[in-house]
Amino acid sequence: MNALRVVIAVLSVGTVSVAGIYLAAWVDLLVGRAVAGLEVRPLDALIAPLRWGAATALKARTTTERPDAETWALAPALLAALAAVGLAAVPLAPGLLAADVANGIVLFGAAMALVVVAVFLQGWSPNSPLPMIGGYRFIAEGLSYEIPLAVVLIAAALPARSLAIAPIVTSQEHLWNIVRQPLGLPLYLMAGLGLAFWGPLALPGGQDLAGGSSLETSGVSRILWRLAQLLVLVAVAAMGAAVFLGGWLGPLFPGAAWMIVKTVILLVPLIATRHFVARVPTERYVVVSWAILIPLSLLDVFIAGIQALVAAR
Amino acid sequence: MILNVTFWAFSALAVFSGWRVFRADSMVRAAYWLLVSFAAVGIILVLLRAEFLGLILILMMGGEMTIMAVFMVAFMMNPAGLNPMTMVHRNSVAIVAGVVSFLAVAALGLFARFPVARAPEGVDPTRKLGVELLGNSMLVFQTAGVTLLAAMIAAIAISSARGRYGDADQGSVEPDQMVTAPAGDVAAAAAHDPAPVTSPGAHQ
Repeated sequence: MNALRVVIAVLSVGTVSVAGIYLAAWVDLLVGRAVAGLEVRPLDALIAPLRWGAATALKARTTTERPDAETWALAPALLAALAAVGLAAVPLAPGLLAADVANGIVLFGAAMALVVVAVFLQGWSPNSPLPMIGGYRFIAEGLSYEIPLAVVLIAAALPARSLAIAPIVTSQEHLWNIVRQPLGLPLYLMAGLGLAFWGPLALPGGQDLAGGSSLETSGVSRILWRLAQLLVLVAVAAMGAAVFLGGWLGPLFPGAAWMIVKTVILLVPLIATRHFVARVPTERYVVVSWAILIPLSLLDVFIAGIQALVAAR
Repeated sequence: MILNVTFWAFSALAVFSGWRVFRADSMVRAAYWLLVSFAAVGIILVLLRAEFLGLILILMMGGEMTIMAVFMVAFMMNPAGLNPMTMVHRNSVAIVAGVVSFLAVAALGLFARFPVARAPEGVDPTRKLGVELLGNSMLVFQTAGVTLLAAMIAAIAISSARGRYGDADQGSVEPDQMVTAPAGDVAAAAAHDPAPVTSPGAHQ
């Protein structure tokens, strides 16, 4: 029975990954066309990601002079694996959890901390200047978003008195963390954009670097890189829904339905930032993060700590 | 059975990647082989039911190895970190030191008395660790933490672009030079050569 549950949970992670990536690509196209003032064609946008994938796979693979072929091939697979681990730490419904560990928040944090390694390797391996600048940029970006990300997640775990995700969800039975810790979700989403190097924080792959860290990447690696990046966004949205929006809690419908609805509610604005918010210069982002976002996240954990002390009395 | 296979697999990976660190010909490769080694040890810690310690080891090392790689590449004046280099120097000394430390650790493993009692059921290692860190040893850990934080802030203040001698990208003149040399000379020197940099690699 237990083994069956694990199989179902692993399959659900796979299903959510595929569906989430497809939805993210679809929403990205729709919002992009709407913002550009073009006619929005939802059905065409359903086929467009497949068309892009087929075209990219059929193009001749390019390479560079003396790349590090092993790490170059590893980088997209590593990013996809890390995003999948992050998603596996999120329970879809009570008991429906692929990575059933006592320290789910720490597992998510560990997987997301290694995203820096994947992006840096993607930029460093081709032995080419612009991707390498993109890789170094992402290290600066990673050092800036990681601390707020970790601190707001710790703050969300405080009321539950547990590092496992399921108790964090059930601790929001009376009041969701988004209300209890108003700073938490905005800071988390900003850090999540950095983590997925998406939209305003697409610093390693910026257009000013002609594509940056993935400039030289072609063929299947290119497709996998794009899928993995979208999967990071899905994992960020799912974890945000679980720890800030009450996860599976909700009336009438089954828990998994609520979890999916809440994940989509977070995923769509995250995707849309790419078309509404300009890309931030790296230096400004680093300064804002260290001077404003990290102090704000410390304030967030301080508030959560005081609430936990008052609740304990 | 599965536990044993996993343990031996990750032990072998930890040793193999530790060996690869010294065979790598680039700081970036060496740093990430070391990360693989640490991650394998982290997974062994998880197998030993020290889940929190294992995961936090992987979390910390992910960032640390990247930072180490960047610093090493910067110190080597080799921006891509792809130029060939070697991780081993002074081979005879290194061999003696390696053999001696291996024998010492192996002797420890063979002859030391390890506790044989299994961890009792129902114990939460994360909670026990928290009580240990923030209970009896709180003063030690908090003092070390604040000291490290102060050191980090000081390092940032010294190396910041908006440093105490002016903006780093504008070039700067140390205060004692201003005292010993006439002001006009310093200004003229600064105008001609705004960022006097001596390259460590120039004489090699």
